[in-house]
Amino acid sequence: MNCKLPIALALLFAPVLAWAGEQADFSVITESGNRLNISSGLSPLAINQMHSWRLRLIDADGAPVTGARFEVLGGMPEHDHGLPTRPEVTAEPEPGVYLLQGVRFHMPGRWLIEFGITLGDDADSASLEFEL
Amino acid sequence: MNKRILAICLAPGVAFLIWLLAPAPLPDHWAEPEAALIASLSISALPPLSPDPSNAAADDERAAMLGRRLFFDPRLSVNGAVSCASCHRPELSFTDGLPIAVGAGPGKRHTPGLIGVAYSPWFYWDGRRESQWAQALTPLETHFEQGAGRSAIVRLLATDPEYRTMYQDIFADLPDPTRFPRSASPQGGELAQENWRRLDPGLQFDIANAFANAGKALAAYQRKLLPGRTRFDDYADAVARNGAVRQGQLLNRDEIAGLKLFIGEGNCVNCHNGPLFTNHDFHNTGILAGAGQLPSMGRYDGVRLARKDPFNCLGEFSDAPPEQCLELRFARDGNELAGAHKTPGLRNVTLTPPYMHTGQFASLAQVLNHYKVAPTAMLGHNEAKPLDLSRGELRQLEIFLRSLEAKPAAAREWLQSPFSHGRNPC
Repeated sequence: MNCKLPIALALLFAPVLAWAGEQADFSVITESGNRLNISSGLSPLAINQMHSWRLRLIDADGAPVTGARFEVLGGMPEHDHGLPTRPEVTAEPEPGVYLLQGVRFHMPGRWLIEFGITLGDDADSASLEFEL
Repeated sequence: MNKRILAICLAPGVAFLIWLLAPAPLPDHWAEPEAALIASLSISALPPLSPDPSNAAADDERAAMLGRRLFFDPRLSVNGAVSCASCHRPELSFTDGLPIAVGAGPGKRHTPGLIGVAYSPWFYWDGRRESQWAQALTPLETHFEQGAGRSAIVRLLATDPEYRTMYQDIFADLPDPTRFPRSASPQGGELAQENWRRLDPGLQFDIANAFANAGKALAAYQRKLLPGRTRFDDYADAVARNGAVRQGQLLNRDEIAGLKLFIGEGNCVNCHNGPLFTNHDFHNTGILAGAGQLPSMGRYDGVRLARKDPFNCLGEFSDAPPEQCLELRFARDGNELAGAHKTPGLRNVTLTPPYMHTGQFASLAQVLNHYKVAPTAMLGHNEAKPLDLSRGELRQLEIFLRSLEAKPAAAREWLQSPFSHGRNPC
Protein backbone atom coordinates (compact mmCIF):
# COMPACT_ATOMS: atom_id res chain seq x y z
CA MET A 1 0.00 0.00 0.00
CA ASN A 2 2.75 2.40 1.01
CA CYS A 3 4.65 1.92 -2.21
CA LYS A 4 1.52 2.76 -4.21
CA LEU A 5 0.98 6.06 -2.43
CA PRO A 6 3.54 8.14 -4.35
CA ILE A 7 2.17 6.81 -7.65
CA ALA A 8 -1.36 7.65 -6.63
CA LEU A 9 -0.37 11.16 -5.57
CA ALA A 10 1.61 11.72 -8.75
CA LEU A 11 -1.45 10.74 -10.80
CA LEU A 12 -3.66 12.94 -8.65
CA PHE A 13 -1.57 16.03 -9.22
CA ALA A 14 -0.59 15.31 -12.81
CA PRO A 15 -2.92 17.97 -14.27
CA VAL A 16 -1.28 20.80 -12.37
CA LEU A 17 2.20 19.50 -11.85
CA ALA A 18 4.93 18.50 -14.22
CA TRP A 19 7.74 16.66 -12.52
CA ALA A 20 10.89 16.64 -14.55
CA GLY A 21 12.59 13.71 -12.86
CA GLU A 22 16.07 14.35 -11.53
CA GLN A 23 15.95 18.05 -12.40
CA ALA A 24 13.42 18.68 -9.61
CA ASP A 25 11.58 21.16 -11.85
CA PHE A 26 7.94 22.09 -11.56
CA SER A 27 5.66 24.09 -13.79
CA VAL A 28 2.32 25.58 -12.74
CA ILE A 29 -0.21 27.92 -14.32
CA THR A 30 -1.03 30.98 -12.26
CA GLU A 31 -4.52 32.22 -11.54
CA SER A 32 -4.28 34.81 -14.32
CA GLY A 33 -2.86 32.43 -16.92
CA ASN A 34 0.85 33.08 -16.63
CA ARG A 35 3.24 30.16 -16.30
CA LEU A 36 5.60 29.74 -13.38
CA ASN A 37 8.53 27.39 -14.04
CA ILE A 38 10.43 26.35 -10.93
CA SER A 39 13.96 24.96 -10.86
CA SER A 40 15.41 23.71 -7.61
CA GLY A 41 19.04 24.35 -6.84
CA LEU A 42 19.02 21.02 -5.02
CA SER A 43 18.65 18.07 -7.33
CA PRO A 44 17.16 15.68 -6.49
CA LEU A 45 15.04 17.56 -3.99
CA ALA A 46 15.75 16.32 -0.45
CA ILE A 47 14.80 17.11 3.12
CA ASN A 48 16.87 19.09 5.65
CA GLN A 49 18.99 21.05 3.19
CA MET A 50 18.79 24.80 2.75
CA HIS A 51 18.76 25.72 -0.92
CA SER A 52 17.39 28.14 -3.50
CA TRP A 53 14.81 27.95 -6.27
CA ARG A 54 14.77 29.85 -9.55
CA LEU A 55 11.31 31.01 -10.51
CA ARG A 56 10.76 31.86 -14.18
CA LEU A 57 7.52 33.75 -14.74
CA ILE A 58 6.29 34.00 -18.34
CA ASP A 59 3.01 35.11 -19.87
CA ALA A 60 0.81 33.07 -22.19
CA ASP A 61 2.97 34.11 -25.17
CA GLY A 62 6.16 33.02 -23.44
CA ALA A 63 7.41 36.54 -22.76
CA PRO A 64 9.12 37.13 -19.38
CA VAL A 65 7.04 38.86 -16.72
CA THR A 66 9.35 41.30 -14.99
CA GLY A 67 9.13 43.33 -11.81
CA ALA A 68 6.90 40.87 -9.97
CA ARG A 69 6.90 40.65 -6.19
CA PHE A 70 6.46 37.30 -4.50
CA GLU A 71 5.17 36.10 -1.18
CA VAL A 72 5.85 32.42 -0.64
CA LEU A 73 3.92 30.46 1.96
CA GLY A 74 3.23 26.80 2.39
CA GLY A 75 3.34 23.79 4.60
CA MET A 76 2.08 20.27 5.10
CA PRO A 77 -1.72 20.17 5.27
CA GLU A 78 -1.69 16.68 6.75
CA HIS A 79 0.36 17.88 9.72
CA ASP A 80 -1.17 21.34 10.15
CA HIS A 81 2.14 23.13 9.99
CA GLY A 82 3.85 25.56 7.69
CA LEU A 83 7.25 25.74 6.10
CA PRO A 84 10.22 25.51 8.46
CA THR A 85 11.70 28.66 6.90
CA ARG A 86 10.50 31.95 5.46
CA PRO A 87 11.72 31.85 1.84
CA GLU A 88 12.14 35.20 0.12
CA VAL A 89 12.72 36.33 -3.43
CA THR A 90 15.93 38.31 -3.10
CA ALA A 91 16.80 39.14 -6.70
CA GLU A 92 15.66 39.13 -10.32
CA PRO A 93 18.98 38.13 -11.94
CA GLU A 94 17.51 38.21 -15.45
CA PRO A 95 14.18 39.45 -16.80
CA GLY A 96 11.36 37.29 -15.47
CA VAL A 97 13.69 35.06 -13.45
CA TYR A 98 13.53 35.38 -9.68
CA LEU A 99 15.86 33.93 -7.06
CA LEU A 100 13.95 32.38 -4.16
CA GLN A 101 16.30 31.84 -1.21
CA GLY A 102 15.80 30.10 2.11
CA VAL A 103 13.96 26.99 0.92
CA ARG A 104 14.13 23.97 3.18
CA PHE A 105 11.82 21.03 3.84
CA HIS A 106 12.11 19.07 7.03
CA MET A 107 9.71 16.17 6.66
CA PRO A 108 8.91 13.59 4.02
CA GLY A 109 5.34 13.73 2.73
CA ARG A 110 3.01 16.02 0.80
CA TRP A 111 3.92 19.70 0.65
CA LEU A 112 1.83 22.60 -0.55
CA ILE A 113 3.53 25.83 -1.67
CA GLU A 114 1.49 28.94 -2.37
CA PHE A 115 2.91 31.82 -4.38
CA GLY A 116 1.34 35.22 -3.95
CA ILE A 117 2.44 37.32 -6.94
CA THR A 118 1.99 41.09 -7.21
CA LEU A 119 2.34 42.75 -10.61
CA GLY A 120 1.91 46.47 -10.14
CA ASP A 121 -1.63 46.81 -8.85
CA ASP A 122 -2.61 43.32 -9.97
CA ALA A 123 -2.57 40.26 -7.75
CA ASP A 124 -1.87 36.81 -9.09
CA SER A 125 -1.29 33.49 -7.39
CA ALA A 126 -0.23 29.93 -7.98
CA SER A 127 0.00 26.83 -5.90
CA LEU A 128 2.22 23.79 -6.13
CA GLU A 129 1.80 20.42 -4.49
CA PHE A 130 4.39 17.70 -4.45
CA GLU A 131 5.46 14.62 -2.57
CA LEU A 132 8.88 14.52 -0.98
CA MET B 1 -18.32 -33.04 29.36
CA ASN B 2 -17.93 -29.83 31.33
CA LYS B 3 -14.30 -29.66 30.29
CA ARG B 4 -15.30 -29.97 26.65
CA ILE B 5 -17.80 -27.11 26.97
CA LEU B 6 -15.23 -25.04 28.78
CA ALA B 7 -12.71 -25.71 26.01
CA ILE B 8 -15.23 -24.73 23.33
CA CYS B 9 -16.06 -21.53 25.21
CA LEU B 10 -12.43 -20.60 25.71
CA ALA B 11 -11.23 -21.45 22.23
CA PRO B 12 -12.32 -18.17 20.57
CA GLY B 13 -10.70 -16.18 23.35
CA VAL B 14 -7.47 -18.13 23.09
CA ALA B 15 -7.49 -17.77 19.32
CA PHE B 16 -8.07 -14.03 19.71
CA LEU B 17 -5.19 -13.74 22.17
CA ILE B 18 -2.89 -15.66 19.83
CA TRP B 19 -3.91 -13.37 16.97
CA LEU B 20 -3.39 -10.32 19.18
CA LEU B 21 -0.03 -11.29 20.59
CA ALA B 22 1.52 -13.25 17.74
CA PRO B 23 3.98 -11.10 15.83
CA ALA B 24 3.01 -10.17 12.31
CA PRO B 25 5.16 -11.98 9.77
CA LEU B 26 8.00 -9.95 8.31
CA PRO B 27 8.35 -9.81 4.54
CA ASP B 28 11.47 -11.16 2.83
CA HIS B 29 12.42 -7.83 1.35
CA TRP B 30 11.79 -4.20 2.16
CA ALA B 31 9.68 -2.30 -0.36
CA GLU B 32 11.81 0.13 -2.35
CA PRO B 33 10.63 3.31 -0.54
CA GLU B 34 11.22 1.60 2.81
CA ALA B 35 14.73 0.53 1.84
CA ALA B 36 15.46 4.10 0.69
CA LEU B 37 14.20 5.50 4.00
CA ILE B 38 16.32 3.03 5.97
CA ALA B 39 19.40 3.94 3.93
CA SER B 40 18.73 7.63 4.59
CA LEU B 41 19.00 6.96 8.33
CA SER B 42 22.39 5.26 8.15
CA ILE B 43 25.45 7.02 9.43
CA SER B 44 26.92 6.25 6.01
CA ALA B 45 24.57 8.97 4.69
CA LEU B 46 25.98 11.53 7.13
CA PRO B 47 28.09 14.04 5.18
CA PRO B 48 31.28 15.49 6.64
CA LEU B 49 30.64 18.51 8.85
CA SER B 50 30.14 21.64 6.79
CA PRO B 51 32.45 24.53 7.58
CA ASP B 52 31.00 27.09 9.99
CA PRO B 53 31.54 30.39 8.19
CA SER B 54 30.71 32.33 11.36
CA ASN B 55 33.63 30.68 13.19
CA ALA B 56 37.02 30.99 11.50
CA ALA B 57 38.52 28.73 14.19
CA ALA B 58 35.89 26.00 13.87
CA ASP B 59 38.25 23.48 12.32
CA ASP B 60 41.47 24.70 13.89
CA GLU B 61 42.98 21.86 15.92
CA ARG B 62 44.57 24.36 18.32
CA ALA B 63 41.16 25.92 18.97
CA ALA B 64 39.70 22.47 19.68
CA MET B 65 42.48 21.85 22.22
CA LEU B 66 41.78 25.19 23.89
CA GLY B 67 38.06 24.49 23.78
CA ARG B 68 38.55 21.13 25.43
CA ARG B 69 40.35 22.76 28.38
CA LEU B 70 37.68 25.40 28.70
CA PHE B 71 34.93 22.76 28.51
CA PHE B 72 36.27 20.86 31.53
CA ASP B 73 37.42 23.87 33.58
CA PRO B 74 35.14 24.79 36.53
CA ARG B 75 36.89 28.15 36.88
CA LEU B 76 34.59 29.32 34.12
CA SER B 77 31.80 29.65 36.66
CA VAL B 78 30.74 32.18 39.25
CA ASN B 79 31.42 29.76 42.10
CA GLY B 80 34.43 27.97 40.62
CA ALA B 81 32.61 24.66 40.76
CA VAL B 82 30.68 24.29 37.50
CA SER B 83 32.16 23.49 34.10
CA CYS B 84 30.37 22.69 30.85
CA ALA B 85 31.16 19.05 31.65
CA SER B 86 29.27 19.26 34.95
CA CYS B 87 26.03 18.96 32.98
CA HIS B 88 27.39 17.58 29.71
CA ARG B 89 29.05 14.52 31.21
CA PRO B 90 31.00 12.46 28.67
CA GLU B 91 30.16 9.17 30.39
CA LEU B 92 26.42 9.91 29.94
CA SER B 93 26.62 10.81 26.25
CA PHE B 94 27.20 14.39 27.38
CA THR B 95 23.93 14.60 29.33
CA ASP B 96 23.49 14.64 33.12
CA GLY B 97 20.74 12.12 33.81
CA LEU B 98 18.63 14.77 35.55
CA PRO B 99 15.18 16.01 34.52
CA ILE B 100 16.38 19.61 34.83
CA ALA B 101 19.98 20.75 34.86
CA VAL B 102 21.63 22.00 38.04
CA GLY B 103 24.49 24.42 37.56
CA ALA B 104 25.38 27.26 39.89
CA GLY B 105 21.68 27.14 40.72
CA PRO B 106 18.56 25.22 39.74
CA GLY B 107 18.07 25.32 35.99
CA LYS B 108 15.01 25.46 33.78
CA ARG B 109 15.64 22.92 31.02
CA HIS B 110 16.76 19.36 30.55
CA THR B 111 20.38 19.03 29.41
CA PRO B 112 20.59 17.85 25.79
CA GLY B 113 23.46 15.65 24.60
CA LEU B 114 26.29 16.98 22.47
CA ILE B 115 27.21 14.08 20.19
CA GLY B 116 26.76 15.32 16.64
CA VAL B 117 25.46 18.68 17.86
CA ALA B 118 27.67 20.55 15.41
CA TYR B 119 25.37 19.44 12.60
CA SER B 120 22.52 21.43 14.05
CA PRO B 121 21.76 24.91 12.70
CA TRP B 122 19.93 25.89 15.92
CA PHE B 123 20.72 25.41 19.60
CA TYR B 124 18.72 25.08 22.82
CA TRP B 125 15.35 23.39 23.01
CA ASP B 126 13.73 26.56 21.71
CA GLY B 127 16.44 27.47 19.20
CA ARG B 128 17.39 30.67 21.01
CA ARG B 129 20.90 30.48 19.61
CA GLU B 130 21.81 30.12 15.97
CA SER B 131 25.56 29.52 16.12
CA GLN B 132 27.31 26.86 18.12
CA TRP B 133 29.74 29.34 19.63
CA ALA B 134 26.90 31.64 20.66
CA GLN B 135 25.33 28.68 22.41
CA ALA B 136 28.59 27.90 24.21
CA LEU B 137 28.78 31.48 25.52
CA THR B 138 25.27 31.59 26.96
CA PRO B 139 25.72 29.40 30.07
CA LEU B 140 28.84 31.38 30.92
CA GLU B 141 26.64 34.43 31.45
CA THR B 142 23.49 32.77 32.78
CA HIS B 143 23.46 33.04 36.57
CA PHE B 144 21.95 29.61 37.24
CA GLU B 145 24.27 27.82 34.81
CA GLN B 146 27.93 28.90 35.05
CA GLY B 147 27.31 32.61 35.36
CA ALA B 148 30.93 33.79 35.42
CA GLY B 149 30.32 36.71 33.07
CA ARG B 150 32.42 37.75 30.12
CA SER B 151 35.01 39.88 31.94
CA ALA B 152 35.81 37.02 34.32
CA ILE B 153 36.26 34.62 31.40
CA VAL B 154 38.55 37.04 29.56
CA ARG B 155 40.54 37.73 32.74
CA LEU B 156 41.06 34.01 33.15
CA LEU B 157 42.27 33.72 29.56
CA ALA B 158 44.61 36.68 30.06
CA THR B 159 46.05 35.68 33.44
CA ASP B 160 46.40 31.89 33.17
CA PRO B 161 49.75 31.45 31.37
CA GLU B 162 48.65 28.31 29.53
CA TYR B 163 45.37 29.80 28.36
CA ARG B 164 47.08 33.03 27.36
CA THR B 165 49.62 31.19 25.20
CA MET B 166 47.03 28.94 23.59
CA TYR B 167 44.64 31.82 22.92
CA GLN B 168 47.23 34.15 21.42
CA ASP B 169 48.51 31.39 19.18
CA ILE B 170 45.06 31.14 17.57
CA PHE B 171 43.49 34.56 17.84
CA ALA B 172 45.04 37.95 18.62
CA ASP B 173 46.14 39.82 21.70
CA LEU B 174 43.94 39.73 24.75
CA PRO B 175 42.77 42.93 26.44
CA ASP B 176 44.88 44.03 29.41
CA PRO B 177 43.22 42.47 32.50
CA THR B 178 44.34 45.35 34.72
CA ARG B 179 42.03 47.67 32.78
CA PHE B 180 38.73 46.02 33.72
CA PRO B 181 37.16 44.52 36.84
CA ARG B 182 36.55 40.82 37.35
CA SER B 183 32.80 41.29 37.29
CA ALA B 184 31.59 43.28 34.30
CA SER B 185 28.95 42.10 31.88
CA PRO B 186 25.81 43.46 30.23
CA GLN B 187 24.10 40.19 31.23
CA GLY B 188 25.09 40.01 34.89
CA GLY B 189 23.71 41.36 38.14
CA GLU B 190 23.39 45.08 38.91
CA LEU B 191 27.03 45.54 39.93
CA ALA B 192 28.31 43.65 36.87
CA GLN B 193 26.08 45.71 34.59
CA GLU B 194 27.16 48.98 36.22
CA ASN B 195 30.82 47.97 35.87
CA TRP B 196 30.17 47.17 32.23
CA ARG B 197 28.55 50.54 31.54
CA ARG B 198 31.58 52.32 32.98
CA LEU B 199 33.97 50.67 30.55
CA ASP B 200 35.17 52.44 27.45
CA PRO B 201 33.20 51.18 24.38
CA GLY B 202 36.43 50.10 22.71
CA LEU B 203 37.37 48.01 25.71
CA GLN B 204 33.83 46.61 25.85
CA PHE B 205 34.30 45.47 22.26
CA ASP B 206 37.69 43.91 22.96
CA ILE B 207 36.34 41.99 25.95
CA ALA B 208 33.27 40.82 24.05
CA ASN B 209 35.45 39.80 21.12
CA ALA B 210 37.80 37.74 23.30
CA PHE B 211 34.74 36.23 25.00
CA ALA B 212 33.33 35.33 21.57
CA ASN B 213 36.64 33.66 20.70
CA ALA B 214 36.35 31.52 23.85
CA GLY B 215 32.97 30.39 22.50
CA LYS B 216 34.51 29.68 19.11
CA ALA B 217 37.14 27.47 20.76
CA LEU B 218 34.44 25.64 22.72
CA ALA B 219 32.55 25.11 19.45
CA ALA B 220 35.72 23.83 17.76
CA TYR B 221 36.03 21.26 20.55
CA GLN B 222 32.42 20.16 20.27
CA ARG B 223 32.85 19.60 16.54
CA LYS B 224 35.07 16.67 17.57
CA LEU B 225 32.14 14.90 19.25
CA LEU B 226 30.82 12.84 16.38
CA PRO B 227 28.47 9.86 16.48
CA GLY B 228 29.78 6.33 16.17
CA ARG B 229 28.62 3.46 13.99
CA THR B 230 25.80 1.41 15.47
CA ARG B 231 24.35 -2.03 14.82
CA PHE B 232 21.52 -0.28 12.99
CA ASP B 233 24.00 1.37 10.61
CA ASP B 234 25.49 -1.99 9.67
CA TYR B 235 21.98 -3.31 9.09
CA ALA B 236 20.92 -0.28 7.04
CA ASP B 237 23.98 -0.55 4.82
CA ALA B 238 23.29 -4.25 4.26
CA VAL B 239 19.69 -3.40 3.31
CA ALA B 240 21.00 -0.82 0.85
CA ARG B 241 23.04 -3.58 -0.81
CA ASN B 242 20.42 -6.31 -1.16
CA GLY B 243 17.07 -5.10 0.21
CA ALA B 244 16.61 -8.20 2.40
CA VAL B 245 14.77 -7.83 5.69
CA ARG B 246 16.84 -10.50 7.45
CA GLN B 247 20.50 -9.58 7.64
CA GLY B 248 22.01 -12.39 9.66
CA GLN B 249 22.19 -11.40 13.31
CA LEU B 250 22.60 -7.65 12.78
CA LEU B 251 19.11 -6.87 14.10
CA ASN B 252 16.76 -9.31 15.77
CA ARG B 253 13.14 -9.84 14.86
CA ASP B 254 11.70 -7.32 17.31
CA GLU B 255 14.24 -4.69 16.31
CA ILE B 256 13.33 -5.12 12.65
CA ALA B 257 9.62 -4.96 13.49
CA GLY B 258 10.32 -1.80 15.50
CA LEU B 259 12.21 -0.29 12.58
CA LYS B 260 9.28 -1.04 10.30
CA LEU B 261 6.99 0.81 12.69
CA PHE B 262 9.52 3.63 13.03
CA ILE B 263 9.48 4.35 9.31
CA GLY B 264 5.80 3.45 8.92
CA GLU B 265 2.80 3.49 11.20
CA GLY B 266 4.67 5.08 14.09
CA ASN B 267 5.25 8.26 12.04
CA CYS B 268 8.52 8.69 13.95
CA VAL B 269 10.54 9.29 10.80
CA ASN B 270 8.48 12.37 9.97
CA CYS B 271 10.63 14.37 12.39
CA HIS B 272 13.34 11.93 13.47
CA ASN B 273 14.79 11.67 9.99
CA GLY B 274 18.23 11.74 8.41
CA PRO B 275 21.38 10.04 9.76
CA LEU B 276 21.12 11.81 13.12
CA PHE B 277 17.44 10.93 13.48
CA THR B 278 16.47 14.59 13.69
CA ASN B 279 15.35 17.19 11.20
CA HIS B 280 16.91 19.86 13.48
CA ASP B 281 13.59 21.67 13.49
CA PHE B 282 10.88 22.59 15.97
CA HIS B 283 7.57 20.86 16.55
CA ASN B 284 4.72 21.04 18.98
CA THR B 285 3.91 17.50 20.02
CA GLY B 286 1.68 18.32 22.96
CA ILE B 287 4.30 17.87 25.65
CA LEU B 288 2.87 19.03 28.96
CA ALA B 289 4.69 21.71 30.94
CA GLY B 290 7.21 20.55 33.51
CA ALA B 291 6.06 20.32 37.13
CA GLY B 292 5.65 23.80 38.58
CA GLN B 293 6.41 25.51 35.28
CA LEU B 294 4.29 27.52 32.91
CA PRO B 295 4.07 26.02 29.42
CA SER B 296 7.12 26.95 27.39
CA MET B 297 6.51 29.18 24.38
CA GLY B 298 9.32 27.24 22.72
CA ARG B 299 10.43 28.32 19.28
CA TYR B 300 7.99 31.27 19.31
CA ASP B 301 10.32 32.97 21.80
CA GLY B 302 13.47 31.22 20.65
CA VAL B 303 13.64 32.70 17.18
CA ARG B 304 13.15 36.21 18.60
CA LEU B 305 15.97 35.65 21.10
CA ALA B 306 18.27 34.29 18.39
CA ARG B 307 17.72 37.41 16.27
CA LYS B 308 18.54 39.67 19.23
CA ASP B 309 21.68 37.76 20.21
CA PRO B 310 24.79 39.90 19.58
CA PHE B 311 26.80 36.72 19.01
CA ASN B 312 24.67 35.43 16.13
CA CYS B 313 25.88 34.90 12.57
CA LEU B 314 24.90 38.44 11.55
CA GLY B 315 26.53 40.08 14.59
CA GLU B 316 29.78 42.02 14.74
CA PHE B 317 31.70 39.09 16.26
CA SER B 318 30.78 36.68 13.48
CA ASP B 319 33.34 35.78 10.82
CA ALA B 320 30.68 35.23 8.16
CA PRO B 321 29.51 37.68 5.54
CA PRO B 322 25.74 38.28 5.93
CA GLU B 323 24.87 36.40 2.74
CA GLN B 324 26.14 33.20 4.36
CA CYS B 325 23.83 33.48 7.38
CA LEU B 326 21.01 31.69 5.61
CA GLU B 327 19.35 30.06 8.63
CA LEU B 328 19.02 33.35 10.47
CA ARG B 329 18.02 35.42 7.46
CA PHE B 330 15.28 33.04 6.45
CA ALA B 331 14.12 31.91 9.88
CA ARG B 332 10.37 31.97 10.25
CA ASP B 333 8.34 33.02 13.22
CA GLY B 334 4.69 33.31 14.15
CA ASN B 335 2.01 31.91 16.39
CA GLU B 336 2.31 28.45 14.89
CA LEU B 337 5.63 28.05 16.69
CA ALA B 338 4.12 28.46 20.16
CA GLY B 339 5.04 25.40 22.20
CA ALA B 340 7.33 23.99 19.48
CA HIS B 341 10.58 22.47 20.68
CA LYS B 342 13.59 21.05 18.91
CA THR B 343 13.49 17.48 17.64
CA PRO B 344 16.22 15.63 19.54
CA GLY B 345 18.40 13.15 17.71
CA LEU B 346 17.88 9.53 18.70
CA ARG B 347 21.36 8.03 18.54
CA ASN B 348 22.08 6.74 22.06
CA VAL B 349 18.61 7.83 23.15
CA THR B 350 18.26 4.70 25.29
CA LEU B 351 21.28 5.84 27.32
CA THR B 352 20.06 9.36 28.04
CA PRO B 353 16.89 9.39 30.16
CA PRO B 354 14.90 11.34 31.15
CA TYR B 355 13.32 12.89 28.08
CA MET B 356 11.79 16.13 26.72
CA HIS B 357 12.69 19.74 27.41
CA THR B 358 12.11 19.55 31.13
CA GLY B 359 12.67 15.82 31.51
CA GLN B 360 8.94 15.21 31.77
CA PHE B 361 9.24 11.51 30.90
CA ALA B 362 11.44 9.18 32.92
CA SER B 363 11.43 6.38 30.34
CA LEU B 364 11.12 5.77 26.63
CA ALA B 365 8.00 3.73 27.35
CA GLN B 366 6.39 6.91 28.67
CA VAL B 367 7.53 8.85 25.62
CA LEU B 368 6.08 6.29 23.24
CA ASN B 369 2.82 6.15 25.16
CA HIS B 370 2.61 9.94 24.88
CA TYR B 371 2.84 9.70 21.12
CA LYS B 372 0.26 6.92 21.05
CA VAL B 373 -2.21 9.19 22.84
CA ALA B 374 -1.17 12.52 21.24
CA PRO B 375 -2.91 14.70 23.85
CA THR B 376 -4.19 18.19 23.20
CA ALA B 377 -1.40 20.75 23.49
CA MET B 378 -1.44 23.26 26.37
CA LEU B 379 -0.21 25.94 23.93
CA GLY B 380 -0.78 25.98 20.20
CA HIS B 381 -1.71 22.70 18.58
CA ASN B 382 -0.25 19.22 18.68
CA GLU B 383 1.09 18.33 15.23
CA ALA B 384 1.16 14.63 16.07
CA LYS B 385 -1.86 12.40 15.57
CA PRO B 386 -2.80 9.47 17.85
CA LEU B 387 -1.17 6.20 16.88
CA ASP B 388 -3.09 2.96 16.44
CA LEU B 389 -0.32 0.84 17.89
CA SER B 390 -0.59 -2.01 20.37
CA ARG B 391 1.43 -2.21 23.54
CA GLY B 392 3.56 -4.88 21.90
CA GLU B 393 4.27 -2.62 18.94
CA LEU B 394 5.30 0.23 21.24
CA ARG B 395 7.63 -2.22 22.91
CA GLN B 396 9.11 -3.16 19.52
CA LEU B 397 9.73 0.49 18.77
CA GLU B 398 11.57 0.83 22.05
CA ILE B 399 13.61 -2.30 21.34
CA PHE B 400 14.56 -0.92 17.92
CA LEU B 401 15.93 2.24 19.54
CA ARG B 402 18.46 0.11 21.41
CA SER B 403 20.12 -0.64 18.09
CA LEU B 404 21.14 3.04 17.94
CA GLU B 405 23.64 2.77 20.79
CA ALA B 406 27.32 3.37 20.05
CA LYS B 407 30.35 5.03 21.51
CA PRO B 408 31.19 8.39 19.91
CA ALA B 409 33.50 8.35 16.91
CA ALA B 410 35.99 10.55 18.69
CA ALA B 411 39.51 9.94 19.95
CA ARG B 412 39.62 9.19 23.66
CA GLU B 413 41.32 12.48 24.46
CA TRP B 414 38.22 14.40 23.37
CA LEU B 415 36.03 12.42 25.74
CA GLN B 416 37.91 13.08 28.96
CA SER B 417 39.15 15.98 30.98
CA PRO B 418 42.63 17.29 30.16
CA PHE B 419 43.16 17.93 33.86
CA SER B 420 44.88 14.86 35.26
CA HIS B 421 43.46 12.61 37.98
CA GLY B 422 40.23 14.53 38.08
CA ARG B 423 41.98 17.43 39.81
CA ASN B 424 40.73 20.81 38.92
CA PRO B 425 43.11 23.44 37.58
CA CYS B 426 43.93 26.15 40.03
